[in-house]
Amino acid sequence: MGQTIKVDTLIKTFQVPEREAGLKAAVGSLFKRKYREVEAVKKISFGIEAGEIVGFLGPNGAGKTTTLKMLAGLLFPTSGQIDVLGYEPQRREKELLRQITIVMGQRNQLMWDIPALDSFELQRAIYQIPEGEFRRMRDELIDLLNMGDLVKKPVRNLSLGERMKAEFISALLHRPKVLFLDEPTIGLDVTAQRLIREFVAAYNQRYQASVMLTSHYMADVQALCKRVIVIHHGQLLYDGGLAGLVEKFAAYKTIGVTLNDPELDLSEYGEIISNSKGQVNLRVPKSATAQITTRLLNEVAISDLTIEDPAIDSIIEQVFQQEAQVV
Amino acid sequence: MVYLRLFWIFLRVSVISEFQYRVNFFVQLFQSALALGTGLVAMSLVFSYTQNLAGWTQPELLAVMGVHIIVGGLIKTIIQPNMNRLIEDIQEGTLDFALTKPADAQAIISVREFRIWQLIDLVLGSVVLGYAISQLSTSLGWLSALSFAAAVLLGGLMIYSVWLMLSVGAFWIIRADNFLEIFDSLYQAGRWPVSIYPGWLKHTLTFVLPIAFAVTLPAETLARQLNGQNLLFALGLTVFLLIVSRLFWRFGLRHYTGASA
Amino acid sequence: MKQHLDLYLTLLKTSIISQFQYRVAHLFWLLAMMVEPVVYLVVWGTIATSQGGNVAGYTAGTFAAYYITWTLVRQMNIALTPYAFENRIRKGRLSNELMRPIHPIHFDMSYFMSLKVVTIVLWLPIAGLLWWVFQPAFTFTAWWQIPAFMLALLGGFVTRFLCLWALGLVTFWVTKVSAVFELYFTIELLLSGRLVPLAIMPAWVRDISQWLPFQWTFGFPIDVAVGTLTGPQVAWGLAMQAVWMLIAGGILALVWPHAVRRYSAVGA
Repeated sequence: MGQTIKVDTLIKTFQVPEREAGLKAAVGSLFKRKYREVEAVKKISFGIEAGEIVGFLGPNGAGKTTTLKMLAGLLFPTSGQIDVLGYEPQRREKELLRQITIVMGQRNQLMWDIPALDSFELQRAIYQIPEGEFRRMRDELIDLLNMGDLVKKPVRNLSLGERMKAEFISALLHRPKVLFLDEPTIGLDVTAQRLIREFVAAYNQRYQASVMLTSHYMADVQALCKRVIVIHHGQLLYDGGLAGLVEKFAAYKTIGVTLNDPELDLSEYGEIISNSKGQVNLRVPKSATAQITTRLLNEVAISDLTIEDPAIDSIIEQVFQQEAQVV
Repeated sequence: MVYLRLFWIFLRVSVISEFQYRVNFFVQLFQSALALGTGLVAMSLVFSYTQNLAGWTQPELLAVMGVHIIVGGLIKTIIQPNMNRLIEDIQEGTLDFALTKPADAQAIISVREFRIWQLIDLVLGSVVLGYAISQLSTSLGWLSALSFAAAVLLGGLMIYSVWLMLSVGAFWIIRADNFLEIFDSLYQAGRWPVSIYPGWLKHTLTFVLPIAFAVTLPAETLARQLNGQNLLFALGLTVFLLIVSRLFWRFGLRHYTGASA
Repeated sequence: MKQHLDLYLTLLKTSIISQFQYRVAHLFWLLAMMVEPVVYLVVWGTIATSQGGNVAGYTAGTFAAYYITWTLVRQMNIALTPYAFENRIRKGRLSNELMRPIHPIHFDMSYFMSLKVVTIVLWLPIAGLLWWVFQPAFTFTAWWQIPAFMLALLGGFVTRFLCLWALGLVTFWVTKVSAVFELYFTIELLLSGRLVPLAIMPAWVRDISQWLPFQWTFGFPIDVAVGTLTGPQVAWGLAMQAVWMLIAGGILALVWPHAVRRYSAVGA
């Protein structure tokens, strides 16, 4: 199979004007404007295999979208190499553009006033998809997403979720080998999110496409990605399995205990996260988990005990917070 | 008093944000100068072929042009930006923010925006008007100056009322901006005295969109005889339009809350 | 070639469908655009009548013919305003377009062609009305006048479209472009025959405008229709259109790659 995306020591710097608040500063900026350089992406390297779905994580402003845009050829890198399907994306060769696609949750590409079906026709003409292949692919995607006759309604009359589904069909009609998905489920309800997730998984399986996904919803990432890349302040923090992320960054575990005597105080064993009628959740350092569990079992009258890893969102949050303190 | 303060606050915010773009001042100056230049070219072409246009002499026409620029500047400084914002808010459903403030909603939506650089037209128009008056044989008393100011004020209020009614149309029609397109181009017709136009256009410019009252009448008050009767009529029409537009605004609001629920 | 034909037909079809949904809006817009020529017509018709029937060879009737044709030429001339580039860049629409294996100019071209299909249907009754009110006087001298007018109309649109697209590229380098555009439009207004027929202008203005693109996109097609040009003059005008298409197209081809490069350096 081999790698479809290769990124080597990628750097992107922007020049941004500085501006202060208030009338005085506003008048001042008429005459003199200060610029400063911002390094949005700092020496990132990674590779993605064909057929792989990779989650691209990081807080707002971490450099996710900048990186994604460079991979899609919309931004010129300041330095470093990018290789997508053997092409340099910033050269924007037609042969490459016919094999990739980008879907942004906050931006629509379909024509607003006409049915999605007519916009699909336009995609066929733009990407020069042979008629037969176009029909087959279109019907297959409509079927996969359960769109049915909705594609015959003007796009502006569709709900947000339906519109997103139509966007996906339109973006995949030319059967791209590389998908860049930037917050594709943002603002959607839970059902629509799940449907989009299942759809991305199905497409990836069927056509062995590489997918790079950014999302604020950890459910998206957990459902789709075996591997995640975490960036923060433009730097690569982690690249590896999702399980490994938990292993590496989760410093704590949660011990859930059901007490026989609800009045008992357990604060000497660990930090109490919650306590309701004898159902106590304790946060304990990961390394001490075994020892504390043994102590609890020996010293306290307990009817039930569970040990859990913290939720992935809170791990991520913790990682970013730690980093912020360091910087 | 409350409304004056409100206006002042909005004004201050607009000034701060417009000062960030100093270039806009020069751009506006440049654009106004271009527009003025074009108008002067058109006029000198006309007067290279004739001595008077349907009974209007060159200085008289210059006075009309000066008033046209002044009133146009007033429109672009405050009426147009506020009405555009209103339509935008209605279309995007963001009018709620203005409606939930504890002040009269019509007052708020009428003073939110202020394009300070557009005031350049006020200056340029006054220069043109001043030059035109100096070329006129009639002398100018303070009574005619006062009635001129009154005529401009009344004209401005009439245009505001009509424009508000057109904008309120956005509660029902999605693309209400198109009415305004018509208004804008009809306003261009006001560069020449309304009396030169054929009947149907003259009546449209007088009674449908009161450009005759906003531009031609003030110019006439200065350049020709002061006509008290016309001024009184303008006052009556202004009061009428203000009331009607107020009622229409309220009617439209009811429709708005009904539709978004 | 076949690919582009397919693309254009599909684009035309889709944008005509969406344009027709706004036919009422288009009608209003069209009506709004009638005021300008009617004002010119009234002013110059009045002068012609008061000067004993004609101004620089134009009677009230020829002025009417000129400005009624004007309304059609103006409609057919509508092309992408250079301001559209600002929106394209700011709202990130250009990013979407750059992701497609097609030059964005084709989207604009077909969009504006579809617009004409819609407006010409709405224009016909308005033109009829103007005809009835102002009684134009056209001069028909030769059979080729009508096909030549069609050709000049199309040529005028393509020339203007290319010029404005090329001008719009300035947006990639300069943030406050409106001054540049306004200057362009003012010069166009004066030198294209839009404000007045160029015959009304002083001789030196006519000499200058010979060597600029403006009159070939506006006054020239009108003059062909009104019947004030000879055969060789028509041929010369069509040739000038071709020259300006080549110039603007050449600038576009040269500058576009740099503009994209610039866009992708700064970001959307």
